[in-house]
Amino acid sequence: MSVTTVRAAIGCSLALAAWELTGCDSQQHGAELFDLHCVECHETANPDLKKQPPKLEGLFHSKRLPSGAPATDEQVRKTIIEGLGTMPAFDGRLSDHDVNDLIRYLHTLQ
Amino acid sequence: MKRLTTTGLAALLLIVVGCQSQTKQYSLRGQVLAKDQAAGQLTVKHDDIPGFMPAMTMPYKVKDPAAMQDVQPGDTIAADLISVNGAKDYWLQSVRIVDQSGRQTAKPAVKHALKVGDAVPDIPMINQDGKQIHLGDFKGKSVLITFIYTRCPMPAFCPRLSSQFARIHEDLAKTPGDYDKTHLLTISFDPKYDTAPVLRKYGLAYLDNHAEGFAHWDFASADPADMRRIADAFGLEYFEEDNQISHSMDIVLLTPGGTVARYWSTEWTAAELEAALRQQAKSSANARGSKG
Repeated sequence: MSVTTVRAAIGCSLALAAWELTGCDSQQHGAELFDLHCVECHETANPDLKKQPPKLEGLFHSKRLPSGAPATDEQVRKTIIEGLGTMPAFDGRLSDHDVNDLIRYLHTLQ
Repeated sequence: MKRLTTTGLAALLLIVVGCQSQTKQYSLRGQVLAKDQAAGQLTVKHDDIPGFMPAMTMPYKVKDPAAMQDVQPGDTIAADLISVNGAKDYWLQSVRIVDQSGRQTAKPAVKHALKVGDAVPDIPMINQDGKQIHLGDFKGKSVLITFIYTRCPMPAFCPRLSSQFARIHEDLAKTPGDYDKTHLLTISFDPKYDTAPVLRKYGLAYLDNHAEGFAHWDFASADPADMRRIADAFGLEYFEEDNQISHSMDIVLLTPGGTVARYWSTEWTAAELEAALRQQAKSSANARGSKG
């Protein structure tokens, strides 16, 4: 194995480790945001609300969101930022980075 | 994976206890801004409570008011927060004082400037149609007023208020006599974001897209200076922090003569509000009838 090949292998391993670390951190951050901002309405029955928000498990496992819109990152991002129906807008409360991490975590919900 | 396992266990636990009632316990830590011993209530500016709510200032009932005897505004406390059935009811228990050094700088609590029987000021607002309205425009009707901001994410606060006002609106619509003598008014204290189009969209969501409902239920905001005057008049507290607005929960009933009839804070039901609104409309009509 040449020096160049070894360097490339080390470089790839480091990059992979960094990617995995970032991915895990990002997902963990998304999970925390989910707990903080989503669980109380979406995962808990609340008879005081006019409409019970849908559960978010498997959100990205069907082609359509509960609203009927396509189940895409962009559509979910739009819903989070602008709100939808009685769901409040999170505009100004979550950064782009937060929304990315939240969507990343929503993809993991089975 | 650990996260999924934890979520799975929590879900299993919920299923197991689901047949009884959903009781959850959280840890709260924060600074007491106001104390109402008679009502057994503390207003706490608290840290994030994962799974319940982000950092915020809000009033909490205390299970055993005797336990808050020694607590003073300015104190930092720790307590167990108990939430039942999706925050339909929640309270603090096991309140412990962690730090008393903030007592010296604590601000006095705001009281209602307008007492029951006082006339409301004629402050201008802009409603969901972009039309200027005044608090005095509703004379002749009994009026139920509450205060929200459309981005409020706390189900026990603004979404609850608007959902319960929607229930009252739907009920009143079934009895035209009462519907015509009453009015609902939801005022946003976030005029920067809650412009007329935003309020219209928000209102339509609670009116099931029936725009004619706006004739009975206005959604309005006022410019910041006027909003502060309205808040001071009714004892509403709100301030912006960390890109969200901490606020008290206030509901006011006005007589058809434009005076304050009654206040509510955290303890109320839609049925109670609706009955008071109907009663106010009827008693005022009877009073007018007996004079004539």
